[in-house]
Formats: sequence, C-alpha cells, structure tokens
Amino acid sequence: MSTIDEAELKAMLARAGLPHSPEQLRELLPGAEIFQRMLARVNEPLPREAEPALIFDVEQK
Amino acid sequence: MSVLTIAEAAKQIAARKLSPVELAKTHLERIRRLDPQLHAFLLVTEERALADAKAAEARQMSGSLRGKLDGIPIAHKDIYCTAGIRTTAHSKLLEHNVPTRDAYTVKKWADAGTVVLGKLATHEFAFGGPSFDLPWPPARNPWNTEHFTAGSSSGTGAAVAAGLILGGTGSDTGGSIRGPAALCGIAGIKPTYGLSSRVGILPLAFSLDHAGPMAWTSEDCALLLQGMAGHDPEDPASVDRPVPDFTAEIGKSVKGLRIGVVRHFFETDHRASDATRKGIDTALDFFRKEGAEVRDITLSPAADYHAVGYLLMVTEAFSLHAPWMRKHFKDYGELFRDRVSLAATVSGPDIVQATRRRRVLCREMTDAMADLDIIVSASQPGEAPKIAEVPKWVNMEKPSFTMPFNVTGFPAISICTGFGEGGLPVSIQLAGKPFSEPLLFRAAHAYETATPWRGKRPAMAV
Repeated sequence: MSTIDEAELKAMLARAGLPHSPEQLRELLPGAEIFQRMLARVNEPLPREAEPALIFDVEQK
Repeated sequence: MSVLTIAEAAKQIAARKLSPVELAKTHLERIRRLDPQLHAFLLVTEERALADAKAAEARQMSGSLRGKLDGIPIAHKDIYCTAGIRTTAHSKLLEHNVPTRDAYTVKKWADAGTVVLGKLATHEFAFGGPSFDLPWPPARNPWNTEHFTAGSSSGTGAAVAAGLILGGTGSDTGGSIRGPAALCGIAGIKPTYGLSSRVGILPLAFSLDHAGPMAWTSEDCALLLQGMAGHDPEDPASVDRPVPDFTAEIGKSVKGLRIGVVRHFFETDHRASDATRKGIDTALDFFRKEGAEVRDITLSPAADYHAVGYLLMVTEAFSLHAPWMRKHFKDYGELFRDRVSLAATVSGPDIVQATRRRRVLCREMTDAMADLDIIVSASQPGEAPKIAEVPKWVNMEKPSFTMPFNVTGFPAISICTGFGEGGLPVSIQLAGKPFSEPLLFRAAHAYETATPWRGKRPAMAV
C-alpha cells in the first residue's frame, strides 16, 4: 500500500517551493496519504492500447 | 409574481405581457430579501441590470427582440470575466480585479439580450470550498441554509433554486456544474468538451474545464446553451462545427432510446443513498414505460476515472498557480492551497501514466456507447450534507460520479429526481455521446414534465 510520511512530504513541498509551516504540513498529510493511493491506481499496469495516448480527442478519432 | 422558467418568461416577453424592467426589479427585490441568508451573490450589479432591462424593453416595444434570452435575468459565476465588473474567483488574490474584457460566453449572453444581475459565489478558483477563510462566505443551500450547495458553481446553484435568477453560468472541471445542480435540485449541463469557449473564464485545469449553464429546467438549460455555444478561435479546444438547435428534440418521445445504467458506480463503487438509488430506479421505470430500452453496463471502476481526473486536475491547476502560490502563499484559503499542493507529490511519469490511462478510459466509454444513446448514473451520493460537516478531503475520499465525463469530455446533465429523508433534493445524471446535447435535453425534459419535482421550490423561495 502506498504511503507517504511527513519528512517525504516536507521535502516534496520544499522542492516545489511551497512554504508550509509544520502545522500546515501535518494538516496536509492525511490528504497526501489518500492522494498516494490515487497515484498508485493510476500507475497500475496499462494495456498496449494506452501507447498512442498523448493527444486528447473527445471524439476518439 | 411566482418564479417563472426562462421558457415561460420568454413567451410572456414576446407577447408583451411581461416587462423586462419589472422582471428585473422583481428579481433584484428577491435578491435583497433572500440573499443575506444564502450568500449566493458576491456582487449585485443593480445599475447594470436596470440598464440591460430597459434596453430589452425598448427592443420588446419596437418588435426587435433578439430571441428567447432577451430580457432574462441571469448572473455569472465569479470566474467569468466581466468587463468593468469585479471578477474575484472568490479569492483574496483577485479581491480588486476588474477585467477589461468580457469572457466569450459572457459577451454571447449579453449580445442575446440577457439582464446581468451580478456575480455569483464559487469555491476559490473553482476548487477550494466550502471555505470560511475567504473574503466572502460560502453560498448556502436554499432548501436548508445549514446545508452545503456542493461546488464549485455554488452561488449559481443556490441563486437558481431560490429564484434569484432564472439561469446562470457554471463551470465544470470534475462536477462543478452537476454537483450544485444536484444538491440544489435544479438542472445543469456540462456540455461536450470544446462546445463552449473557456476564453475569459479563469481556468482550473485546461484539459478538464467545461463552461455550461444552470437553470430550473433542462429546457431552460437548452435555451441558455444556445446562447453560449459556438466556435471561438481563441480557445484551442473550441470545436469548429455548426451549433445545433438544442431545443430541436424537446417534446419528442423517448421511445426507442437505448439507455445503459452504470449501476456499479452508485451501488458498489460508491454506494449512493437509498433515496438517490430509488430516484434513479423510478426514472428508469419511467423511461422503460415510455418505450426506451434499459440495460445495465459495466465500465472500469469509478475510482479509476476519478484518480486520472483528479491527478490531472491538481497538476494542471498547480502549473497555473505555482508562481502565485510561492509568492502569495498566505493569501490563498486553506482548502485550495492544500488541495493543489498535493501536485508537489506527483512525478512526471505519474502524469504520463494518467494521460495514457485517460486514453484507455475514453476508448472504453466510446465503445460502451456504440449501441447506446444515454449512460445513466448518480450525480451526487445523496442529499446535501451540513455545510459545517463537509470533510476537508471530501473530493478525494470516495470516487466522484461526475468526473468520468470530464475525463472523457462527454456531455452530461444532472436533473432532480425528488427528495430524500431530510427534505433535500436527490438527482440523476444522464450522459451522452459527444455533441448529443439535443438528445440529452429530450430525455431530461421528458422526465421533468412527467414528474412533479419542477413544481416544488424551496420554502424560502415561495
């Protein structure tokens, strides 16, 4: 199961240039944990049909 | 005067039985009386409204009305730029922002003769809400003002349901038109991606943002979309194709329509309330009785669509807001700031995987619709919760029913299917193939006119 700890989250936010205080960081952590599960779902193996995937076209032509 | 629909008001205006000036004054009075409890408006533009209404009345008297939207009182979600009128995105960052140019869709509605009553509450930049740390309070649900409207087109949902306006603009990146339409018991359509221009609308996420109308009925949404759709070369996603008559199929039978029900979305993936499920089943019974073919279909789990859409939404939003967030971090409300900050945990490969998976999901839905006209699901899981009890991570904890159609770009409308145990509205979502809006309006209108729900307004609005 994907998880993220406070130190990892702090480093990622700092790399993005976001100045969360320690308290704000702690408030963000539960959301980051849910989000990690979403990222894991997105990264599950994909079929070959996913290859030509770079252009979004609503009519799928 | 009872609150009219746009279709009713247009008929009376055309017949010179209703004065656009009197109509505007009636709605301005309703705003003065009811909005202190609702907070639907961030700004009331009374002077502009009366000027618009006088111009409409002059056209009425000279026989030169511009169409069914001429003289109709509307308002705009406060991410739609309005020339000379403050446009804030409900954020401290744009508290004093006065655009010099109308959004494409704002100008289209103005050219159609609408009467602009003001600017409507949203979630901060159409994402952070309901928030209590912004310069203005969040909108309240007219069915019970202790309850949430959903977001982010929260002011539009509340103002339409309470009869402060006859219609208004919304935007929908993950469900921000259909959510408030559902919880406020009105109609709201997210059109096909590219059908209506986003130029001049403050963006949240380029590849998921849609502009659309909200009104009391689906027929009114069709009239409003008519005044909104069209090719705009300034929006790279805008499609260059003829705009159909969105009311063309209204009143026609639903016999023969093929309806697929994504039952697992609202029964197992994210179990909706008893009243919501009952409302959907009753609506399906209606369609069957009228001669439609109804069958269950299976798509990928709602969580797959939700994860792809949510990841792309926060990363696209962060790409826009990162410079401001680094410089003006404290000026954002907590909800927007923290939801968008999650993009900092996303890697490049995550985004590529989401884009690839989006392609798979789009193909899946296209294939599923090959022998269908409509896909049915819930719009929201149940009645509106109390606004003070909405969890901070509500958008992520369970999969959304609306996001699948932002991911694919297919059109989807939410309409009311009655009321739950708490007396608040429940709803159904009808989605169609790209550019099949006339068919969606046909089905939605057939259901609305066969059921009593359009005859009941919130008690405060009667």
